[in-house]
Amino acid sequence: MAEMQTLDLELSATSGTLPATASRQRIESIALGTAAIVLLLLIWELVPHFLPIKQGTRLFFTVPSRIFETLWEMFATGSIWAPLGVSAAAFAIGLALAIAAGLPLGILLGRSKTLNAMLDPFVTAFNATPRLVFLPLLMLWLGIGMWSKIAIVFLGAVFPLLINTHEGVRNADKVLINVVRSFGASEWDVARLVVLPNSLPFIVVGLRLAIGRAILGVVVAEFFGAQDGLGVVMVRAASSFNVDIVFAGLIIFAGLSLIMTGLVRLFEERTSRWRPQRAANE
Amino acid sequence: MATQPSVLSGFIGRHRNAVLGGAAVALFFAAWQAIFFVVPFNPLFITKPSLIAAGLVDLIESGDLFHDLAVSAVPFFLGLFAAVVIGVPVGMVMGRRVRIGYALDPLMTVFYASPLVALAPLLVIFFGVGLPGKTIIVFSLAVFPFVFNACAGVRAVDHLLVNVVRSLGGGERDVYLKILLPSVLPYTIAGARIAVGRALIGVLVGEFFAASEGIGHAITRFADIFAVDRMFACILTVMVIAITLTEGIRWAERTAFPWRFGQ
Repeated sequence: MAEMQTLDLELSATSGTLPATASRQRIESIALGTAAIVLLLLIWELVPHFLPIKQGTRLFFTVPSRIFETLWEMFATGSIWAPLGVSAAAFAIGLALAIAAGLPLGILLGRSKTLNAMLDPFVTAFNATPRLVFLPLLMLWLGIGMWSKIAIVFLGAVFPLLINTHEGVRNADKVLINVVRSFGASEWDVARLVVLPNSLPFIVVGLRLAIGRAILGVVVAEFFGAQDGLGVVMVRAASSFNVDIVFAGLIIFAGLSLIMTGLVRLFEERTSRWRPQRAANE
Repeated sequence: MATQPSVLSGFIGRHRNAVLGGAAVALFFAAWQAIFFVVPFNPLFITKPSLIAAGLVDLIESGDLFHDLAVSAVPFFLGLFAAVVIGVPVGMVMGRRVRIGYALDPLMTVFYASPLVALAPLLVIFFGVGLPGKTIIVFSLAVFPFVFNACAGVRAVDHLLVNVVRSLGGGERDVYLKILLPSVLPYTIAGARIAVGRALIGVLVGEFFAASEGIGHAITRFADIFAVDRMFACILTVMVIAITLTEGIRWAERTAFPWRFGQ
């Protein structure tokens, strides 16, 4: 599945290094990575000093210092909080609904072969299709505003969660399930005691992907069908050639996305530290 | 007569999943069609499969559907092509030269994680609503899966192979062409599966924003005039295309590189 691909790649990307050189390499990688970003920003900043920029292009051109100034201003005056709050609310509600629907459904599909065979075409179809294609329809049904935003966030986030939960449940140890069964556990007990803890790493990966999809959903929904939110601020700024604000908004979205996925990754490492198969991979 | 049921049940037994899935899909559309016998039907907001089919036939006969699809296909394939041509070599160099990898990895991660769609309004202003703008949106979304997968592919290469080529007098060029490129291929196709989805998003975003033709524009146009049946016809067409592309690539992966699915 598309979602599992990233998991494979991360595992294969961790190459074996000797512990003695590991810390030196770590320092080198951080230094080089930072240097590249700084260099890029510096070049971008200096471009207008070396290259003559036409009057027309100057309308759309900006430099990092101006972007950060704008960003600082947005936070200092507090003008950012209202639209950011609207976007965050849509994100949080949509993601919460996706978790509430995706986890139980994923467990159900993982436990029942018949149900899985029946719903598989729908899950595959919706997962392959960019959920964006439903936006005009959702706007027609739910109107411009909060609900169509929440719906698109939900649609984006629910499938990675569902698919990964399903995958995790299917990978649950059959022997453990049989043992718990033999001791008289109900289907609910099996789900709670064996299946859920076993599929937790998969679910967390799903959550990480879902966060990215949810942020994408917020951005796109606000671009096309909303009256307030950070995305709306960005579109308005773009149409009045306020390029700084567009980039500032992008930085905020990117920052939030990186922070949240980073936190989930941290949680991932925390919770899977005890797993023997995980240790073998590292 | 006596053998008839056993043949049938044998077929169902062998293709149980496909039969159940097909039945569920058929049931879904039947229920959709039937529900309007009970619930009042408002053609402004909802439609039924029979009307969608009629709308689809209409769009095909008038040639509008193929025209819009052709218009959307050009930036889609151009952007994807550019993403492969630029993304794979960059990723390979990042995987081969450790220091370049260190330098570019955080940068690429930031770009990959940020919702680059957010730059769409800007790109549209820069490059216009036509082909160049859409192609660049598609490219900027689709390039990163290729970079990361090519990089991972190079890192997974057995060092022994590289050493053998070296010992036999091969240069860096031989290493790239004879070892790295073939080993990166399965990773590139896995990347393509992810990139295709993102490229579709790029095309749709570009066309929702500002376009005068294309399948994304058709969907918004039909939504604006409440032609729900034709809008559904276009949405279903996009779904079928998306499924065909991703499942097609998955099939190609399985057939060409079966060992990757061995586990």
